Formats: sequence, C-alpha cells, structure tokens
Amino acid sequence: MLDRLLQIVCVLLLLAPVNTGGAPQFEVHTPRGIDFTLQNSPTAKKYLIETMPGGVALLDYNNDGLLDIFVVNGGRISDPMTVPENFDRHNPRYWNRLYRQNKDGSFTDVTEQAGLANVSDGNYGMGVAVGDYDNDGYPDLFVTNYGKNILYHNNGDGTFTDVTAKAGVAGGGWSVSAGFFDYDNDGKLDLFVTRYMEWDTQHSKDCGGSFHTYCPPGEFPRTTNILYHNRGDCTFEDVTEKSGMAAKKGHGLGVAFADYDGDGFTDVYVSNDGMQQYLFHNGGNGTFTEVGMEAGAALNVDGGPLSGMGVVFQDYDNDGLPDVIVTTLPRQTYAVFHNDGNGSFSDRGLQTGITMLSGVTSGWGVGLEDFDNDGQKDLFVAQGHVLDNVEKIDPSLHYLEPVLLAMNRGGRFEPADPGTAALMAARGAAFGDLNNDGSIDVVITVLGSPPQVFMNRGGGAHWLTLTLRGTRSNRDGLGARVQVNGQTRFATTAGSYESASDKRLHFGLGSAKTAKVDIFWPSGIHQVLNAVTVDQFLEVREPER
Amino acid sequence: MYLTKNRAGSRLQIVLIFCLLSPLVLAGQTISPEATKHWNAARRDEAQKQFAPAVSEYRKVTELEPTFAAGFVSLGQAVMEQHDFASAVAPLKHALELDSTLVPAHQLLGYALLAQGYAVEAIQHLERAHEQGALGIAQVQTGQFADAITNLQAALQKRPNDPDLLYYLGRASGLLSKQSIDTLLAAYPDSARASQAMAENYFVLRQMPEDEKLYQQALQQRPDIPNLHLELGQVFAATSRWPQAEEQFRAESKIQPGNAEAAYRLGDALLHQGKTKEARSALERADKLQPQMPETLYSLGKADLLEGNAPAAEKCWLELLSIEKEGELAAQTHFALAALYRKQGKTVDAEREMKEFQKLQNNGASPPS
Repeated sequence: MLDRLLQIVCVLLLLAPVNTGGAPQFEVHTPRGIDFTLQNSPTAKKYLIETMPGGVALLDYNNDGLLDIFVVNGGRISDPMTVPENFDRHNPRYWNRLYRQNKDGSFTDVTEQAGLANVSDGNYGMGVAVGDYDNDGYPDLFVTNYGKNILYHNNGDGTFTDVTAKAGVAGGGWSVSAGFFDYDNDGKLDLFVTRYMEWDTQHSKDCGGSFHTYCPPGEFPRTTNILYHNRGDCTFEDVTEKSGMAAKKGHGLGVAFADYDGDGFTDVYVSNDGMQQYLFHNGGNGTFTEVGMEAGAALNVDGGPLSGMGVVFQDYDNDGLPDVIVTTLPRQTYAVFHNDGNGSFSDRGLQTGITMLSGVTSGWGVGLEDFDNDGQKDLFVAQGHVLDNVEKIDPSLHYLEPVLLAMNRGGRFEPADPGTAALMAARGAAFGDLNNDGSIDVVITVLGSPPQVFMNRGGGAHWLTLTLRGTRSNRDGLGARVQVNGQTRFATTAGSYESASDKRLHFGLGSAKTAKVDIFWPSGIHQVLNAVTVDQFLEVREPER
Repeated sequence: MYLTKNRAGSRLQIVLIFCLLSPLVLAGQTISPEATKHWNAARRDEAQKQFAPAVSEYRKVTELEPTFAAGFVSLGQAVMEQHDFASAVAPLKHALELDSTLVPAHQLLGYALLAQGYAVEAIQHLERAHEQGALGIAQVQTGQFADAITNLQAALQKRPNDPDLLYYLGRASGLLSKQSIDTLLAAYPDSARASQAMAENYFVLRQMPEDEKLYQQALQQRPDIPNLHLELGQVFAATSRWPQAEEQFRAESKIQPGNAEAAYRLGDALLHQGKTKEARSALERADKLQPQMPETLYSLGKADLLEGNAPAAEKCWLELLSIEKEGELAAQTHFALAALYRKQGKTVDAEREMKEFQKLQNNGASPPS
C-alpha cells in the first residue's frame, strides 16, 4: 500500500531554542503586522451580542505553507439601536481581517486585496468556519453573524468572492459557531451553524437592578441550529428539518464533530448555554437523533444544566474514542464527558482535575492539543466572564481572567504557565503550528483588544504533522480518524468557540523515532503507514482504489 | 431598638387577629330586656357577617347599659371586624376600666394596638391575655428579641409551621444575633471573635479577599477557636482553592475530631481534587459521626463510585433516597443512579431513575448549574 502513497516530506529545521523541560514555553504577543482590535462596541443598553464575539481562524489561504490568520470583528452598535438594525462596518476598524503570514513570522494585512474588506456591512460579526467546500484545494471561509452569514469562496489567486446568495447559506438570526463536515460521506463538505436564540436589539432586555447587565439566555426563546447539505454544485440545501435537527431548539454556541460510536458517520456535539447539551447522533441516512441525555453527555455530574460555550471533541486519554470537553461559566466547572465506548459517556471532571481548575472561571475557546509533544493532549482555554460588571454581582468573580493551560499527565490535567498572567476577556481560540516548528501555537481573540498569539517555543520531543489529501473522501479528509503510535485525532477544523483551527493533524511523539500511522478515511478506506520518519510534515494522499 | 413597622408586618398581624377572634361570653351580668333585644340583634348580625348593623346594635347596648363591660368588648370586637382598629380602642379601654380582669378585652386591645404599631402599649395587654404569638411579634417590634424568641417558640408549639410565627421567629433570631455582634464589635473591635464575625458578613457578600484576611487575623490571635478553620476552608472552597480548603478542614478536624461537618467538608474538598481514597475515608468518618446526613451520603456515593465500588455507591444513594425523597439532592441522586445503572447495562433501572430525576426537576428541584 505504501508504494501507492504520495508522500511529501518537508522536514524543517527547528530554529527555535529547545525546551527540554516538562511544560512548553510560550511567548505571548501580538505579532508584527497585526493591527486588529476586536470592536465589540459595548453599550449602556447591554445588548447581549456585545459580549459574544469573535472568532479566529488559522488557515493557509494561499497554500504557501504558512498559516495565515483571519479574525472576525463585531461591528458598530448605536446606543440605542434603532430599526432597521444596521451595524455599520464601513469604517476599517470594524472590518474582519485577513493577515497573510510572511516568511519572517510577521504578518501583512491583505483584507482589501483579498476582497474581504467591508463585506460584512450591516451585520454584527461572530465566528468563522474554514473548509474546502468545492474541493479545489483552497480553503474557503464561512463567517457567522448576527444577521446574515457569508460564504467566501477562495478563488485560489489570493482573493475571495462572496458566494452566499448562490450557495444559499445566508441563514439569519443570531449565528455563532459553524463548522464544515461531511455528514453523509459523499466527499463534499456540508455545513453546520449554531444559533443562539431568538433575539433582536428591539427585544433586548436588561437584567440588572441598580445597574445594567446582560441577561442570561433563559430570558429569550430557544432557536434551531442549521444544517446545510452540500449538493456538489457549489450550492447547499437547508436540511435542518429533513435531518431532524430542527426538532431540537436550543441556545447553541459551540459545535464540534467526531464519530463517537465508530459507526463511520460523523456526529455533532452542540454546546448550549444554560441548558442541557446536545449530542446529535448521525443515523447514516441523512437524519440525526439527539441522544445527549441517554448517552450521559448532556448534564453535569449532578444532573445540572451547563452554560456550554466552547467545545472540543477529541480523545484526551488515548483510548481511541473522542471525548467531549465543554467550557462553561463559573460555579459549574468545565464538563469532561469521557467516551466510555458502547455509545455512552461519563463525567470525568473530578478524575481529570478539570473540576478543580475551572471552579471560578468562564471558558470560551478551547482546544486539546499536545503542546509539549509528550504524546498526551493538553488543554488550553480562552477565559473571561460574560458579564463585564460581574464583580458587582459577585465580587469573587472577575470579568478579566487569565487563559488556562493545563498539561495532561496521564489523564490528569495540571496547571502550567501559558506564558502570560495577563487578565483579559478572551473569546475565540484557534490552534495550529504557525511557524512550522513542530509545536502547536495558539491564537486567541480578546474583546476590545488585539488578538494574542501564544508562540510555543517547543521542546526536545518528537512529533509528526499530517496533512490529509482526500480523493474519494473530501479533499481535506475532514472526519477521518487518524491514529499515530496509539494516539487518535479526528480530522476537523471545527470546535473551540466561533473559531477554526489548522486542518493539519499534529501528534507529539515523545521519544519515538518512528511512527505507525493508521488513517480511517470517511470513505471507509483504512490506510496504514509504517515506520514513518518523525519530526516532519507529511501529506498523505488517500488511496483511490 | 425601635423598629419601623412595615406593610407586610401589618398585614400579617391583621391576619393573626382575625384568626384569634372568638365569640365573647357574657360575664354573668344581667341587662335590661331592651338591651337584651339589641344584644341579640347584634349577635344575629355578627353571625351573618353584617358588622355595621352589629356595631350599631352594640352601641345601643352600651348606651342602655353603660356599666356592662361585655357590651363594650363586643362593640370593640365588631368594630375590629371592620378593620377599624383605631375606633376599637376606646370601647375596649372602657371595658377594662369597668373590669380590669376581662381577658378578652386585654386580648382584643392588645391586637388593636399592635395593628396600629403601638407595640409597647400592646405588650401589657397581650401579656395579660397570655397571647404568646402576638406578644412575641410585639416584642420583635420593641427590640426585646430574646423574650420574643421565647414567646414565639412557645406559640409555635401550639401552632407548628405557622408561617407568620416562623417568619417573626426567624427575624427575631437574626436581629438578636446582629445585636450581639454589634455589641461584640463595639466592645472588642480587635478581638479574634470580632474578626470572625466580620468575616462571616464578608462571606455572605462574597467579598473573599477581605474575608480571608479577617479569618487569618482571627486565627493568628486564637488558632484554637472552633469553626475558624472550617469557615476559612469554606472561603477557599467557594473560590475553588481546594488544596487550601483541604488544609483548613484538616486543621478543623484536628481541633474538633467529633465535628461531622468538618469531616464532611474535608471529604468534599478531597473529592474535588480527585483524591478519592482519602475523600472516602473522611466521608465515612463524617457518616459515622452523624449518620444519615443526605449530603454526606451523596458525596460518599460519589467517592465510592470513583473508587470503582459501584455497589457501595448504589447503597449510599439508595439510603439517601430513603431519607430524602424530594428536592434538589434527591433529584441529583436519581440522576447519579441513572448514570450508574446505565454503565451497568441496567437500562430499565436507568430509565426509571431518569424519570424520577425529571419528575423532581419538573416539581421544582433544580440541581446546581
């Protein structure tokens, strides 16, 4: 089988100083060339949208081998808002931004030349999804908004075209996170969009007493998420009703994908705010059934609802099964739903130590990545309370919080230094190897502030990063289950909160000198690579049979 | 201490008054046939809840028989039935001038005065009438909290779970506590107890940094005071600083090895850190010190399950449900049992427990979010 593989080996020199210690060393900064500030435009009216943006994506939009950064902006909010609602985005400070990474690690703002300037005018920005929906080899962008969502087709020449109308994916209402995945394994990426609630600025509420404050989601009606099926002709069909997704209204914020029961079809986990979480089991026939409660992945260990915000659906304990971590508000602790096999989950917050790490914090963007390349996925959470005046309600809580980095030590997470103790209102988080040094970096968004880049200075341990090249499956192999030396990752760009991560699959290998790679493609093909050299970026092409 | 009577208080008092009104008995006096005619007419009107004509008839009785004390009492009572407490005072006072031993007159006058906020004046009449409930309420209003507590408790013996009496007992207890603390803070502002008292207030306000500082101050002065470590531990627990909480609960358990709460909280802190074996040991100790505590049983079940002892967890939780069938903890326990049975493949049992969980949730039990 090996002889049928196309392997492109890009072994890069590790220029950064080697960290031989246990925990990774992060250098935290806003890179040169990035002049973005997330304009959430807080008002005295406390419109709930103000505290909810914004997403960040790590993608290589021009296929030059370097990850670029796309950040979603909020927009201008009048105080008070009038009808018809219009979030003026003409001023460049309200634009979403695309930053192309240069070879020296700096960035260049290419928003205008890419055709992405001013294009969200009228909408208030939320999140971003990345996926090559037309399998042309260039990642496309889907931006969620309060208002109409926008699909940008990557033209492959450094520019994008708004194809929303043609594709039929504008949606409406309040969309938050989104993700591309191939739910019917037809080789074309479909699209899932979470929506938060039925809300508009004219029906906003103020839940403060002597002071203004944002209202909890329970004050507003639930709404449906949206599932779009990719017809393969660059148009999508809204199959929310047909698929059964419409049967479950909620307060959707985050979304993540993985095949939790090994039936070969990608399932959907939606983090809902202030209620039970939803696990949509993919029936393989175009329909989904919500099974969160029966599967034990809907409520916390005491049967309480969760203020689910971010979510990650990956295998933290290397048992080959995807687990779920949901970030929440303080006093709830982040939920760790361990996949026990047989289609059921159990709350492992206590055993993993995550309960102890998250009692008084609010989590948004979240990732399970092996930051120290020891073969175990670590936890990173972008944190900051939802209420910008929470101290008035509970002085023991804080709006601005540090990020959380917790190293996985045999299934137990221990706090580590993320490289900064700065307090911030962080929201989105995307993960990927920005400088191709074999160590995973992080980019987070911060309300009212520039994004923060956590450059991982690496260590001495080995690694392997795979780029999947689907042929029968979708071109990026999203949905593939990939095992390397006993570790498992589910290929996805989705997860976290409102954000999209590097499509490449990174594995820390510790002291291993070679790797055995098993790829279970969405097409059903099982591909095996033996004795793979470590410390390389490897593109693996799906056998065409 | 003078307390301003609030509207809710007035309403409650009026309710009490009419609960306690009872037909008055003629005090063995003989009255003229004409007065008797009016008396009977008044009684008929009263029976038909026609209080205005009853007042008119009683008034004629008192005019015809100006020394007939019971006539004035009945007049006062009928006036009060019309919620006119101010007008009831004069005939009731006159009745007592005629016969100062007339208990119903004292009773009604006490209520009439209390309803108008004249608590000090009401007390002497309520004392004479042995109306401990109303007397307790009047004493709350006049700042006699200790006496109020005694009388309200005695009244509750006769009318257990009376919401008005329970409310005033709670209020009296709280105010007595505040009075004691105010005295303590004024007399010994730098004492360990003063720090502890202030710290308790900060805890309620969730001002944890100030709270912690005060507890530390108190501990520096008197490290042996019972409950100080326990309370400081709760400050750490409330801010998810579980190792520090554990340290304090351990210290409390050393000072008070017989304190079940200290053992329970130590177990809980250990459980939060995933130290399940130690947690189990502390929770078992708490269970021995104070058996059948639902909170202990719930956490002990959790620790058992985390230690891989599902039968022991099930036993704890079933015992809990035999004690507590309603409310938040019962709901949580049904949910935990459902998860346990699901893992064991006992689908029917799991579904049954989930139904119980959902039933309790629908009934208003809301497990912590």
